[in-house]
Amino acid sequence: MSEKVLLVDDEKEFLDIMSERMQARGMTVKTADSADQAMAMLEKESFDAIVMDFKMPGMDGIQALKNIKTKKPELQIILLTGYATVEKTVEAMKIGATDLLEKPADLEKLAAKIKQAKAEKMLVVEKQTEDKIKDILKRFGG
Amino acid sequence: MSPNNDPCPNTDRLTDMDDVKFFGALSATMTHDMKNVLAIINENAGLLGDLAVKSQKKATPVDPLKVSTISEKIRKNVTRADTMMKQFNRFSHSMDHAEEFLDMQEMVMLVASLSERIIRRHGGTLTVIPPPVPCRIHARRFAVLHLIFRALDILCCDHADFASDTEKQMTVRFGRDSTLAEICFNRDPGLMIERDSLFDSPTDRALLAHVNMKVKMMDAGAGFCLCTARPDHG
Repeated sequence: MSEKVLLVDDEKEFLDIMSERMQARGMTVKTADSADQAMAMLEKESFDAIVMDFKMPGMDGIQALKNIKTKKPELQIILLTGYATVEKTVEAMKIGATDLLEKPADLEKLAAKIKQAKAEKMLVVEKQTEDKIKDILKRFGG
Repeated sequence: MSPNNDPCPNTDRLTDMDDVKFFGALSATMTHDMKNVLAIINENAGLLGDLAVKSQKKATPVDPLKVSTISEKIRKNVTRADTMMKQFNRFSHSMDHAEEFLDMQEMVMLVASLSERIIRRHGGTLTVIPPPVPCRIHARRFAVLHLIFRALDILCCDHADFASDTEKQMTVRFGRDSTLAEICFNRDPGLMIERDSLFDSPTDRALLAHVNMKVKMMDAGAGFCLCTARPDHG
């Protein structure tokens, strides 16, 4: 099954060409040009991974990362940015970013990271389900 | 000049560190913007490669229209990167100059294009209304660029305005009378900032003193003007 990816960047031209190339590699890609738009899309749809720029109009990438991770902890977020200081990278990883790639990035490398992110998301979802079952069994004295 | 005659107290003196901080902030923005353009060029080149692989696999010719569209996009982005590099180069060389006569519209246009992304990130759109006759001041180029950058920064990220990322229409216009020249920074919605806290940091005060300018607040918080005596007066 193909990976479903939400691509977030304020450069429309970049969004168009990246989604074209990712779709050609079998991925299902939706795009958002701001973190606010991405947040709204996440309310309605589920994705295997988000590929997101750090610096965009409106909500800043770190804030967006915090918001997404609070609402959907299973979601894997790959940061794709032209601006990656060590401090920002460490901060992003601490908040829960799956990975960080610098622009311009190698698409094959990004595709491999997206595949890996999907596998990790499935593991987290499995663990969440297992915990829920354990909780139910515990409550019913099982 | 003896300390007693110094119009600029030590705390309000523009330091090399202030200059370096400003240079660093603008360089970081510019290099980030350039990386974005490089990323677009990179993906277009990748798309050409994808087309070649596809054509080889299916033994069909590459669509010439598609190739020429991609090539046009690459050319457009190379031009965009070249413009950015030229502006950045002009900005870098602004440090070379001592005091000189400066065209204020040219200075505003340079800062506006260098900080376009910052303005956009804060939901701002900027219009620069050209003066009917050139508006000039006599000052150090780098300090003037720094002061204009601070003015635009205050205009788009007024820290007293908690909804700082809401849409803002910003306008810069120039004015002069027989003795004064001014640059006015207008914002809709208006600024929430008080007159006393406008340009109140030691660096801001030092910058104003350095380029010999004063701040005049507009009515109802619509913005502010930076005024100076006309160097070409008389």
